[in-house]
Amino acid sequence: MQVGLKIWRFNSRSGERELQEFEIDAPEEATLLDCLDIVKDRHDGSLAYRKSCRMMICGSCGMRMDGAAVLACKVRMYDIAQEGRVPVISAMGNLPIVKDLVVDMGPFWEKFRSVDPFLQPGYQEPPDGREHLIRQERMNVIHKEALCINCGCCVSECNAMESDPQFTGPQALVKAMRFVGDPRDGEKLARLEKLNGEHGIWECTRCYFCNERCPKNIDPRDAIAKLGAESIKEGIDRDMGAKHAKWFVTSAKTTGWLRETELVPKTQGVVAAIKQTRFALDLAVKGKVPPPFPPHVAKDVREARRLYDLTVRESGRRGYDGIVQGEHALGRLAHGHSGEETLEEIYDRPGSFTRPYLPDDAA
Amino acid sequence: MKKVAYYKGCLASLSAKELDYATQALAPKVGLELVELESVTCCGAGDIHEAEPDYYLHLNARILSYAAAEGVDTLLTVCNVCTLNLRQANFVLMGDSEVRARVNENLVSVGVPAYERDIDVRHLLWEIAEGEGYELLKSAAHRGLKGLKVAPFYGCQILRPSKINGFEDPDRPWSLERIIEACGGEAIDYPAKIKCCGFPIIQAREETALGELIQPIEQAYEAGADAIVTPCPLCHLSLDAWQSKLKAATGRDFKMPILHLSQLVGVAAGVPEAELKFKRHVVSMKPVIEKLQI
Repeated sequence: MQVGLKIWRFNSRSGERELQEFEIDAPEEATLLDCLDIVKDRHDGSLAYRKSCRMMICGSCGMRMDGAAVLACKVRMYDIAQEGRVPVISAMGNLPIVKDLVVDMGPFWEKFRSVDPFLQPGYQEPPDGREHLIRQERMNVIHKEALCINCGCCVSECNAMESDPQFTGPQALVKAMRFVGDPRDGEKLARLEKLNGEHGIWECTRCYFCNERCPKNIDPRDAIAKLGAESIKEGIDRDMGAKHAKWFVTSAKTTGWLRETELVPKTQGVVAAIKQTRFALDLAVKGKVPPPFPPHVAKDVREARRLYDLTVRESGRRGYDGIVQGEHALGRLAHGHSGEETLEEIYDRPGSFTRPYLPDDAA
Repeated sequence: MKKVAYYKGCLASLSAKELDYATQALAPKVGLELVELESVTCCGAGDIHEAEPDYYLHLNARILSYAAAEGVDTLLTVCNVCTLNLRQANFVLMGDSEVRARVNENLVSVGVPAYERDIDVRHLLWEIAEGEGYELLKSAAHRGLKGLKVAPFYGCQILRPSKINGFEDPDRPWSLERIIEACGGEAIDYPAKIKCCGFPIIQAREETALGELIQPIEQAYEAGADAIVTPCPLCHLSLDAWQSKLKAATGRDFKMPILHLSQLVGVAAGVPEAELKFKRHVVSMKPVIEKLQI
């Protein structure tokens, strides 16, 4: 098949940028990475990009296609070529470009290291040198986070990091959750304390680009929420972000609706809120600061209060488990199985993998 | 008329009442009969999901249950954040019978009907961007927008995660543009239309949030937009009310008027200004009002 690609070339020494178009001949099953290999082998040997495993496990070939971060080895080109689209390929965002599609992963690894991505001993050793066994259910808690291949697709698109490059960012926070949720780790509380710092979990802006882009369906935003839930469960809630989140809970169980006007002092403290008086007055003139009295109370709010008692007060906070419990159901959405297409039909699709040889085929 | 349960959410109930007024005035013109839910609470806005995730699931199950009790198939939302929170809870409850059974047991014990029937949580945007809603919108929008240049701002949680929202391609959305054009406006294109407005961290990390907020406003301004329209009252609040802080931080005063989706369509459908409540906006709507001669 004929595949068209527009590739942003970049020379960091001269600062020159150029959009080059290539028209190549590729096999129907070719991925974007295969196409880049063809460009490099037959058209322009100076093209720079990273690759290694070619099977979505090494995380080397993160780049952007039409502005969206992808793993080049995961993107099939057949449908794109059939539509006649000529996608624009460029380097990932939020990281400095070294050459063409190669970014400097230095800042990425620095943040990765900042969350101490290794087990900290501290659990009780079983007696008699026996093996330390962990139930599958305990490991299921970090099943998704453990799948991270450090490709950087989430970091590439992180809106908070774009605004503040010091934000720890989705990938490092996913790794942090992988260890916070590991029952063998001995430093959970110290980790959570550190993650509640200025550029930690509460700087996430919930843009959900990370969940959208992650080629392994890890849902980094959900991992960050798990860290928030676990911090609050452990009483680590001094950050304005935690206070902000807790005020929603207080509002829901007292009046049912968000008590908006009290949100600023409850989040930032009274002194900081007073400094905002001028700003608040401008809003108040427009009716954007609803008076807290009389409160706007939802009908039957008693039920919401009782649900709080049942789920929090009487049974104790569940921390990240409260989010993990939904993953089973949401996982089905992630795999996008409509259930309408059989495996045979998938193999018959042009550009699909060749049907594997099965022992029954001989008969 | 399509009968739908109407979930206002917190902002449209209080600080963004203008969104509620405009939506109520617009609904019959686009074939929607709104059944307002009385016994519902906040969806948690992602904050309760993060602080007390199990409580979040129960609160949303309660909202879904009261919507189902109205005998309708659709729960209509007018806020991105409500849309995502309710849809996410719905997928969890519908996709996991064990979780649903436990949540229902708790609901019933406090006097809420068990939630068993799958309710479709849909944003107003989706209702009027295609199908019958869109056809009715085209005929209702007789007053037009006199070629007003409108920059669509989607915000995040109506597009992403697409596996939960799934209405349109989250990288190449088209619904707002289609509505703007059907109303007689000119849709302005700019890259930040699918990015974050910064609202979720505007109190806890104001500087980071303002660094996000400036992008859509600056880009829409430079592309010559007369106004920005958004389907989310939280985006509206940051784009409109926090715009003055951009002036303090960057010295640039964009004076960009910000419209709620219901107001934009409302104008085109001839809803009187008295019901659109432009006076409740922080950034003056005067240039838009003058251009539209309303």
